[in-house]
Amino acid sequence: MLVQILNGLVYGGLLYIVSVGLVLIFGLRRIVNFAHGSLFMLGAYVGFSVAVMGGFWGAILAAAIVLALVGALLDITILQPLQREDPIVTVLVTFGLLLILEDFAQFVWGKDFLKMPVPSMFSGSVLIVGESFPVYRLVVIAVAALVALGLSVWLRVSKIGLYVRASSADPLTTAMQGVNTDRVSVIVVALGAALAGISGTISAPLLALSPSMGSYILIESFIVVVVGGLGSFAGAFIAAIAIGQVHNLGLVYVPWAATMIPFLLMVAVLIWRPTGIAGSHV
Amino acid sequence: MTDILATKPTVTRPPPPRPALALASAIGAFAIGALIAATIQSNLMMTLLTQAIISGILATGVGFLMRQNGAVSFGHAAFYGIACYAIALAMKFGAIRVEVAIMLALVLPTALAFLLGLVIVRIPGVAFSMLTLAVGQAFYEFAMKARQVTGGEDGFSVNLSSTVFGIPTAIFQDPHSMFVVSWSVLVLIILGLALTAASPFGRLTVAIRENEERARFIGYETTLPRVLVLTLSAFVTAVAGVLFTLYNSFVSPDVLHWSLSGSALIMAIIGGPRLIWGPALGAIIFFFAKDIAGDFTEHWQGIIGAILIVVMLVLPVGLGGALAKLWQRRLGHG
Repeated sequence: MLVQILNGLVYGGLLYIVSVGLVLIFGLRRIVNFAHGSLFMLGAYVGFSVAVMGGFWGAILAAAIVLALVGALLDITILQPLQREDPIVTVLVTFGLLLILEDFAQFVWGKDFLKMPVPSMFSGSVLIVGESFPVYRLVVIAVAALVALGLSVWLRVSKIGLYVRASSADPLTTAMQGVNTDRVSVIVVALGAALAGISGTISAPLLALSPSMGSYILIESFIVVVVGGLGSFAGAFIAAIAIGQVHNLGLVYVPWAATMIPFLLMVAVLIWRPTGIAGSHV
Repeated sequence: MTDILATKPTVTRPPPPRPALALASAIGAFAIGALIAATIQSNLMMTLLTQAIISGILATGVGFLMRQNGAVSFGHAAFYGIACYAIALAMKFGAIRVEVAIMLALVLPTALAFLLGLVIVRIPGVAFSMLTLAVGQAFYEFAMKARQVTGGEDGFSVNLSSTVFGIPTAIFQDPHSMFVVSWSVLVLIILGLALTAASPFGRLTVAIRENEERARFIGYETTLPRVLVLTLSAFVTAVAGVLFTLYNSFVSPDVLHWSLSGSALIMAIIGGPRLIWGPALGAIIFFFAKDIAGDFTEHWQGIIGAILIVVMLVLPVGLGGALAKLWQRRLGHG
């Protein structure tokens, strides 16, 4: 049972790191990046390619740097020019970008599933209350916890963190106080993209790599963000952990319905609280 | 760059609806359909056109929701696919007539859209798109998992009886005759939607789209009209699903996948969602572009992504919108 809960934490943790990038961008700009899952997918492939020579930590670093650059580029070329338009325009343009990035990944790495081996230093498993549990999964939980903690501290103490929190609470007043969202958004979007890249790399040994892997995680992270309440970090955290648990327990106890459970949870939460757990305005 | 959904505030009254003109255009359109089927001999061409028209009906449903509610759905494959599976499963397990199965295939997605609409139409803008994507994909996951019932990923072929509504099933499976059937259905749907859009109900939904709060303030109930638009749009989508199943007599979870919803959305945007007939035009362009691009490149998906971005940025009214503007200018209204 404990092992199952840990497995749920692995998935929930990964989901949180991906979703938090969406929350950051939404908090600052009130837009949703439909290509966010593709950034996760690119992170997995970049990590996969670099891990061969650079090892596991090199792969994570490379994915973070490459995706941060992609994110900065995304902000400068697409998100900033479109910020005066209806947010739905950004949705559709980033949807077009999703199609291009998937095609690009297919061109570079091929259509077939790729498998990244578990890094050798984390191979093997440990006994937890009499059941064996892979070391690598514990590492994933630790990395997810570190990222979550680091991000919370950053949001609390840094100036940009303050702007993001202020902007997600009330964009108009924040702008009137003289906060220039354009100046901080390059950093925020790059950070969100880098987090998606990191989580892509660390989940690569647990998943099969394919160009369409991004769409799956995109939909799951949308569920997290909508259930948590758009723009809320705490809400996304609770939702990611909860969905990680129900997803995993579902796989064990009701395998035929497991993939449906997050969707049902979402509909239930929305009937109960239409603005999500944290109840932020949309 | 103007917004594709919001209209500029305008003080001019819309032109009065002209049912006679609409009816005359419809009769003309029927004739054009018959003419196309009679002149084009190539089976390959007709197959392409028939697919385009069936997808055009799907895109018309998606586009109508954008036009009246200003809502962008990434989940219409659910209504389409449920219609497909309703016929397929009813013929597989139920000892019922195919006509009853078709009724079921039209009623189920429509009723689902109504119930779902009560929960989701109030969710604004981007969140609506995210939700429809997630809800739509739930049905795909279900069809993949429920292997005993749906055959999972492989899908299964549908046993249709030899006649449907007294018409030989072969009519629905030959590209020439099916083109005429689908085209006529599309014309009827566009006529129906155009009359709906011009009715007081249609104009009320546009008012709600523009400013929900104000419409409520004047004293209108604003949720139910939006639910009804979603319901109507799902019904149109279900019609496309029924035609698809009759034509192909095969279903697989692909008919529920979100990439189908995404394609329909792209068709609607290329053609111009502000026009009732725009999405259908977009579907025809989409299929021909895909066919031509497919001849010399494997990167169709990247190309369509680039086309979507370009249309969104350069021509937000879509190709249909641009054509309509040119036409009006020629008539001296522009």
